[in-house]
Amino acid sequence: MIKRILIAVAALAWLGFLAVVGASYVIGLKQASAWPPEESVQPVAEKDVAKTERNVQQLEKRMTGLLPRGLYIVIDTAANRLYLKEGAKVVREAVVSCGSGVVLEEPGGKKRSWVFDTPRGEFAVKSKITNPYWVKPDWAFIEEGEAVPKGLEDRIESGTLGDYALGFGQGYFIHGTLYTRLLGRNVTHGCVRVGDEDLKAIFKAVPIGAKIYIY
Amino acid sequence: MKKALAFGVLGAMALAATGWGAAADRSALAKKQSALATEYSLAKESNFYFVLDVLGRKLELRVRGMVLRSWPLQGMRFWGNPGFAGTVELVKKTTLKAPERIVIKPGETEEPAPAPVAPQAKPGATGTAAATTPAEYELEALELRDMPKTFSLDFDNGLQITVKTKAGGSQGFGRSVRAALRWYVQLPLRNLFGSREGKKISELELAFEQGQDAQAIYWHFFDGIKGIVL
Repeated sequence: MIKRILIAVAALAWLGFLAVVGASYVIGLKQASAWPPEESVQPVAEKDVAKTERNVQQLEKRMTGLLPRGLYIVIDTAANRLYLKEGAKVVREAVVSCGSGVVLEEPGGKKRSWVFDTPRGEFAVKSKITNPYWVKPDWAFIEEGEAVPKGLEDRIESGTLGDYALGFGQGYFIHGTLYTRLLGRNVTHGCVRVGDEDLKAIFKAVPIGAKIYIY
Repeated sequence: MKKALAFGVLGAMALAATGWGAAADRSALAKKQSALATEYSLAKESNFYFVLDVLGRKLELRVRGMVLRSWPLQGMRFWGNPGFAGTVELVKKTTLKAPERIVIKPGETEEPAPAPVAPQAKPGATGTAAATTPAEYELEALELRDMPKTFSLDFDNGLQITVKTKAGGSQGFGRSVRAALRWYVQLPLRNLFGSREGKKISELELAFEQGQDAQAIYWHFFDGIKGIVL
C-alpha cells in the first residue's frame, strides 16, 4: 500500500514537473517570438524628414572622416596576417609571426615578468630603420639563463631583425626574420616578423605616420 | 460611371501605397540615423568594437568604422527578454576549459628540445617540435588553435551570447544531452521564475560555420570590448 502511494506521489511530482516545464516553454516561446524586433525605432515624423536626412549625411561624413588616409597596415594576430591597405583595397597581404603569449618569469630576487603579446590597438609608424640592430632587453638574457649585461655594447646584436624595421612605439617593431619557416605561427616576443620580400615592399610603401591597426 | 469608380478605387489604392511607402522610408531613415549615431559614438574612439547585426545575420569586428573581420551566422536561436538591443560591453568570457598561458621560469624548466629551424636564429621560437610541417609544430605558444570552439560572452546588460560551431558534430552524447537540457528545460524555467540574481534572462545562441570562426571570436573579443547589437 505504502509502495503504491509512493509511486503515485512520484508520478504526480513528475507530471507536475513536466507541466511546469511545458508551461515555461510555451510562455518563453511566446516571449521569444517577439525577437528579433522588427521596428525598435519610431519612424521620423514627416516634418522632421529633411532635418533627419541632413543629420544622417553629417554622420556619414563624420564616419568617413575617421577612416585612415593613404596607405595603412592591418595585422590579424590570430591568423598571423598583415594587410597593406589603401581604403578598402588590399594592396599586399603577407604571412607574419606575432606574439607567442608566453609569460616569462624572472627567477631570483627581482621577480619581474613579461608577457610576450603583440600589443593590440591603433598605432602609427614612428620610425623607419634600414639595417637595424637589436638592442637586447633584459628578458632576452633572462630567457636564455644568462646574466644581464650592464654595458650597452653587450646588448647589441646585428642581423637578427632583417634589412628593415618599422617602429610603432614602446619598443615594438615590424621587422624581418631568420625564422621564415615559422611565419604564420605565434612565436615572437611581441614584435611582428615579416618575410624579406614583403618587408621590403611594406617598408618602401608606408610613410612615417601611417596608421597600424593590430587586432 | 463604372469607369469613374474604378479610377477612384485605383487612385485611392495608389495613394495608400504611397503613404505606406513613405512611412516605411521614414522608419528606415530613423533606423539609419540611430545606427549611425550609435556607431559614431564608438568609432570616434580608437578602440575596437563589434556589431552584431541580427537581421543581417553577421557579426563584425570594427575600428573607426572599418570592418576588420566579418563572421556570417549560420544559425541562431533565442530565449528570454528580447529587449537587449543597443550598446553593450563584454564583462567576461566563460568556457569549460579556458586557454592558459605558458609560463617560462628559466632554471626551473627542462631544456626544450631544439626546434627544426636555422640554428643561428636567436630571437625565435622557444618550442619543441616534431618532424612535421611548420604549421603543425607544437610550439610553446598560445595560438588560435588553443582557443575554445564553444563559449559564452556575458554582457553588462544581462545578455548572454553562447558561441558555438555548426560543424562541431563530434561534441559527444553527454554534451549534446546537457546542451538540450539547458536549452529546453533550464532556460525556460529560469525565464519563467527568474534567475538567481532576479534579472530577466536574454540568452542568444550563435552558430558559426567553422570552428576557427568561433576560436577567432574568442581571440579577438577581449573583456571590456564594446559593441552594438542591432
